[in-house]
Amino acid sequence: MTTNTMSMGGMNNLDDHHRRSREAQWQADKWMMSGALLLGTAVFGILGFPLFLRGMALQLKAQREGLTVRPIMVTLIGYLVAVDAALNTIGWALDLVAHHTLLARVFLMAWGNMFDAGYFWHYNELWLGGASAPGEKAWEIALLPIVFAMRIAAAIGFLQMKRWGHQWLIITCWFGVVAWTGYIANMTIFADVRYTGVVFPVIGWWLYDIFYITPFLALPYLHSVNREIFSN
Amino acid sequence: MNKAPTDELPLGTTPAFAGMHKWLQRGLIVCLTALVLEGAFTFPLLALWYGWPQLSLHEICTEFEKIRFADDSRECIYPYPLFGPAEGAGQKTAQDEWGIQPKPLYKAIGYRELIQRRDERLARQAAAHASQP
Repeated sequence: MTTNTMSMGGMNNLDDHHRRSREAQWQADKWMMSGALLLGTAVFGILGFPLFLRGMALQLKAQREGLTVRPIMVTLIGYLVAVDAALNTIGWALDLVAHHTLLARVFLMAWGNMFDAGYFWHYNELWLGGASAPGEKAWEIALLPIVFAMRIAAAIGFLQMKRWGHQWLIITCWFGVVAWTGYIANMTIFADVRYTGVVFPVIGWWLYDIFYITPFLALPYLHSVNREIFSN
Repeated sequence: MNKAPTDELPLGTTPAFAGMHKWLQRGLIVCLTALVLEGAFTFPLLALWYGWPQLSLHEICTEFEKIRFADDSRECIYPYPLFGPAEGAGQKTAQDEWGIQPKPLYKAIGYRELIQRRDERLARQAAAHASQP
C-alpha cells in the first residue's frame, strides 16, 4: 500500500516484505477493531480503550519500521467514522426500541439531564416511548438505518481499501452533512425544551458533540484522494 | 536527488492537496482522540455525577422519574413489562410552562445532588410517619 517497495531488492525480499506488512496490518486492526467495537457500545467503552490504544501503537510501529501499511489518513477516517456511527447507533437504538431498559432510563436520561433535555423532558411519555422532544423520533427513524448503519458498513469497506467503501463513505458522509444541518436546526428551534434545566446547556452540548463532526473532515479528503489506491 | 521514503507524500495524497491533507489529519487526530475518550468515559462519569455507587442504577432511575414528573410517589419499575404502555403515558404531574415553545420547570441536577435529594425525602417521610398517631 504505501511506498518502500523499490529498495527491497529481489522478489523474495519483496514477497517477504509484503507478507510481514499484511501481518502487521492485521495485527493492528485486530486490536483496533476490538477496541472500536467496545468503544462503540459506550457501556463497555472503558474496556475498549486500552485495546484501541494498543492497536494504534502497533499501527504506528509498523509504519515506523517501513512496512507497507494502510495510509494513516485512511485509518483515522475509517475508525473515526466507525466509532462515531456506533456511538450514535447505540444511543438512538436504545432510545427507539429499548427505552424502558434500566440502561436507557439511567444513562440516556443522565446524558439528557447533563447536555440535552431532549432525552429527559417527558421521557417515556410518547406512545412510542423514549425521547419526546419535538422531531427527535423522526430523526432517529430516518438516520439510524439510512445514515449510521450504512456508515459503519462503509467504514469497514474503507478500512479494507475497497472502492465501494470509498464510494459509500462519500455518500454517507453527505448524509451526515444533511443530518448535522437538520438536527442542529431542530434543536435550535426547540431550544427551550432541550436546554432548560440542563447542567451544561448549549456550550456544553457543543463541546461534547463537536467531535462528531466527522463528515466535514472526511469529505474534503475523500474527494481529493487519488482513488486509484482503492481496489475493486 | 533521491528522497528518503519518509519525505514522500502519503499514498493517495497528491502535491496539490498535501497541505489540506496535513490539516485534515490534525483535525481527525483530535476528533478520534476525543471520541475514544468519550466512548470510554462518558457512562462511568455520568454514573458518578448522578450518585453511583452510593445510589444503585435503579435508585438513580427512580430519582430521575420523580424529578421528571414532579411527583415524589413515582418509582422506577424495573424490569418493565415488555408490552406495557409507556411509563409516563397519561401522567398529569409534570410541570411546564406550556405554549408553542414549552419550557420545563425542573432544575438542573448538581454533582451528586440526587443522593442529598433522596436522603432529605427519606428523612421527611420518616418524620411524617413518626408524627402520625
